[in-house]
Amino acid sequence: MNREGDLKMSSEREAACIGRSLSGVLAAVLMAALLCVSPAMAGEVGAAPSPPPSAPPPGPNNGQPYADPFEPFNSAMLNFNLKVDQYVVFPVANAYASVLPRPARESVGNFFNNVEVIPRFANNLFQLHLARAGTEVARFGINTTLGVGGLFDVADKWFGLKEHRDDFGLTLGHYGVPTGPYLVLPLLGPSTVRDTVGLFADGAMNPLDYLTPWYVYIPANTAQFAIAGINYRSLHLNLFEEVDRYAIDLYGSVQDGYMQRRAHQLKQVDEGTLFGK
Amino acid sequence: MDLYRTESTFIRRAVRNYVIAASLAVAIVAAALATAAPARASNDPAVVVHGLVNQALGVLRNNQMPLAQKQDRLRALVAQSFDFGEMSRSALGYHWRSLTPAQRADFTQLFTQFIEDSYLSKISEYKGQSVTFTKTMQLAPGYTQVGSKVLQPGGGDPISLDYRLKFENGEWRIYDVTVDAISIIANYRNQFNRVINGKGFPTLMADLRAKSSQLANSVGGSASGR
Repeated sequence: MNREGDLKMSSEREAACIGRSLSGVLAAVLMAALLCVSPAMAGEVGAAPSPPPSAPPPGPNNGQPYADPFEPFNSAMLNFNLKVDQYVVFPVANAYASVLPRPARESVGNFFNNVEVIPRFANNLFQLHLARAGTEVARFGINTTLGVGGLFDVADKWFGLKEHRDDFGLTLGHYGVPTGPYLVLPLLGPSTVRDTVGLFADGAMNPLDYLTPWYVYIPANTAQFAIAGINYRSLHLNLFEEVDRYAIDLYGSVQDGYMQRRAHQLKQVDEGTLFGK
Repeated sequence: MDLYRTESTFIRRAVRNYVIAASLAVAIVAAALATAAPARASNDPAVVVHGLVNQALGVLRNNQMPLAQKQDRLRALVAQSFDFGEMSRSALGYHWRSLTPAQRADFTQLFTQFIEDSYLSKISEYKGQSVTFTKTMQLAPGYTQVGSKVLQPGGGDPISLDYRLKFENGEWRIYDVTVDAISIIANYRNQFNRVINGKGFPTLMADLRAKSSQLANSVGGSASGR
């Protein structure tokens, strides 16, 4: 590798500096300084010989393939999800989008976002981000009152309080739980064993489930899931438009896209840069 | 400095003064070089990326230029900024080691063609997006990431586009691009790994060839939209 060559040459030059005769000291010192401070050495001034650096490996798994023991199931589920989207979800979302203008649909999205404050608040708390948990409470209060039942995100627009997205899968990841095998869920799409556990945990934080009987909260939750889902899809109509245009292996592309995104979200939530929407 | 002890005091002092003066000269030269370094284009990764993006945008925005000429210009720009050898090697991961030199050359050529066809087919879909550059950060010695944001003309969230460059043979070249923090080479690495493990390397080459010609044929048709 050229990198090793450069480093070996620099140490030879440094050795040459020291061994020069008296008459050559000035020339040697000047030349050595010129060469040693040359920016050509990977941007480091006077780089001392160090082990050859290796490239930061692309991808969150250090370049290793993802654990996928459920692959036949996952593959079938991915195809099922794409078909359901093509024949059911997209047509409905498209029709819905032509009926309801965008600002109205964004307000519907804001409403559902507002209602789902409890998992966000709880998970920010679990990860000991107390200020962010407090911000979520403030956002809920402001948006429900000044934002007319959560339809308008005035907490962000007027007060600069951004939504700190968080979920139990990220909480588990924050405390060192590995993602586990890749898993494609029906309708919900790509996930992992850890993130699926997270989904169930967040789902259990719904107060409606504990305050009302099952024949109230099951239809209510189903309706919420369906409406919020269609609404979201209508705001992102070109989500799957060219999904297989550049893919040699669609399953692998979707899998890696999800795993990379999730790893990045974990990094962001630790840095405090994971915001909603 | 044993040599100095054999000389007379006069020469010793003269030499000492001379060395002090020389050290000062060295320090001044070093400082001058250090501050002048960013101006040397091939040694600043941000300059490489800025140059590529601005020239590419110039080509895309030129309504007078025919499509074929735009494609040639973009191909030339990409060829001088990207390191396709490194991208191909990285995209195959550990499979690279088990390939013969002939297979590696074939794959590199095919993968380069595939990437070219991918972005060239998008030329006519340029709708006036603009680019702002964000921070440059070092990933490891000799590896840098230059960030940019692509702003959509019709509003909506900007797309983060980061370029990863490697310093080799005296110049910075791009070896990976991340779109909204998703590395393209890592994505292809996962895809290619699955195809090689499941169906074999010849099938991967055939799939790349087929997809490449499919994309190349869609260039003329993409103007009609999807």
